[in-house]
Amino acid sequence: MKRSSADIIREYGPFPGVDRINGVTFDGQQVWFASGDKLNALDPAEGKVLRSIEVASHAGTAFDGRHLFQIAEDRIHKIDPKTGRVLATIPAPGGGGDSGLAWAEGTLWVGQHRGRKIHQIDPDTGAILRTIESDRVVTGVTWVDDELWHGTWEGDESDVRRIDPQSGEVLERIEMPEGTGVSGLESDGGDRFFCGGGGSGKIRAVRRPKRTAARK
Amino acid sequence: MDSLITAAARALATGDPLGALKRVALRGDAPALALRGIAMAQLGELVRAKALLRSAARAFGPKETLARARCVVAEAEIALVSRDLGFAPKALDAARVALESHGDRVNAAHARHLEVRRLLLIGRLDDAEHALAGLDPALLPPALRAAHELVVAGIAMRRLRTRVARAALERASRAARQANIPALKVEVETAALALDTPAARLIARGEERLLRLEDVEALLASKALVVDACRYVVRYARNVVPLATRPVLFALARALGEAWPSDVPRSTLLAQAFRARHADESHRARLRVEIGRLRTALKSLADVSATERGFALAPRVAHDVVVLAWPVDEEHAAVLAFLADGESWSSSALALALGASQRTVQRALDQLAAEGKVQSYGRGRARRWMARPLPGFTTTLLLPGPLPSD
Repeated sequence: MKRSSADIIREYGPFPGVDRINGVTFDGQQVWFASGDKLNALDPAEGKVLRSIEVASHAGTAFDGRHLFQIAEDRIHKIDPKTGRVLATIPAPGGGGDSGLAWAEGTLWVGQHRGRKIHQIDPDTGAILRTIESDRVVTGVTWVDDELWHGTWEGDESDVRRIDPQSGEVLERIEMPEGTGVSGLESDGGDRFFCGGGGSGKIRAVRRPKRTAARK
Repeated sequence: MDSLITAAARALATGDPLGALKRVALRGDAPALALRGIAMAQLGELVRAKALLRSAARAFGPKETLARARCVVAEAEIALVSRDLGFAPKALDAARVALESHGDRVNAAHARHLEVRRLLLIGRLDDAEHALAGLDPALLPPALRAAHELVVAGIAMRRLRTRVARAALERASRAARQANIPALKVEVETAALALDTPAARLIARGEERLLRLEDVEALLASKALVVDACRYVVRYARNVVPLATRPVLFALARALGEAWPSDVPRSTLLAQAFRARHADESHRARLRVEIGRLRTALKSLADVSATERGFALAPRVAHDVVVLAWPVDEEHAAVLAFLADGESWSSSALALALGASQRTVQRALDQLAAEGKVQSYGRGRARRWMARPLPGFTTTLLLPGPLPSD
């Protein structure tokens, strides 16, 4: 397993009226973050919130190329980012203990916080397709290239880790500085992760380690 | 935090404990237990709240120090508000240290406050003052600042420092308005009211008038010899002669003080001090003995001189002699006099001091408690009694914020 310390490239926020970051996603241009009763679109270059959608947003956020998915209480809402309308609703697999959401290849991946699990679910029905066990609290899930990453946060310790999507084995860890937690995780598809900072109200851009020749 | 915990915490923060409960009612994980505990506390279900917070503290993992410490603080606050002082101060102190070392200064300060309020509640004024000195209210959010100033006012009022108390109450009022918690505003107003209601009655040269706490303070700083029937002492400036355990001597002193500068006939003294209707020779002999004892007791403050028909008080330095009494004559003035020291008393200690039976004292306490003039805490043998509530005893819960680790 590879270990490194997080290289925090940039910090965004805290933003006015935002107490906490519950989830983050990236639509190719804007970072969307969940703040409880809103989804906010942040321009990562300017560091400014461009617009907000009024919608319950208590945990993970994801983007499938057209829609936003947002965990609220014990449901997952599919939201039209243009109008803010909720188009569909499915049950969340953790029954409300959910934290962290990612879209990959036609399915949703949902972190189950204290259940220390990641579920792959059918985005139309919410049916669980399979479950990966983790040994840590899950606070954010993302896919980048063929890599499954998730955030953990227990007490003062927090990291971003890459796990084997089959076995759940931890392959790589990026440790966050003490007292810096990860709530919500999304990759920009390149060399950056966007990490929600929970009650700090901040979003942090963390560098994704460069791939060396031998790739898992 | 996970989704429902976040939703429940938001509901709690907006004053909707039922909404919070609805979301986590069926969950037994640590953050859910903590939120349920806080919600139950806000709903006034203190016993259930305490149990939930205790199990939450146990359920949080070994790395979730902050969350556990906040549970301990919340539990301590509930214990304090429900006047259950069996809560271990050590656990609270350990939680405070943990919060401080993890940079949660606000909740650390809150923990310290709870300790100070506990000390004030059990009548340890010096310790309360000492612990309060280590706190900087400027660092606190408005609600905690209001609670802080109430404690300062409470100590000042017990110590008869009305100007300090008034200033603290003004600051408390500002902070409570800022915090915008209705219950807290009411508590500050009630406390301020205590400063303006008559605290005592002055009897001087045959006339009576009511005094506020401020006037009492001024009187005690004046050049008058005060026969204080609120505390059963005779005092001049800093010189205090306690007579609480000597009711006959005090009754004589009070009769002499009320009559000053005139003398008091023997028959009146006998009637007042011994409740003797017909004075015979043995009564007269006993009066002589008691006057002799009073003379010895008051030696430094006044002489008790014999006159043709009785006795008169002759202060050594004081220009004036006055009697300070309860605003209305209390049936159980003697019990209240002991409690007026601000300390906490067991009923057996009161019985001992009063020379009365436990049963009599208990009856008096029960009646005074029913009239809201005294308060007790603890149960069974550990039960303690104090004078009527003073500021510093907010019953508003100012619980620590959302509990889960992030």
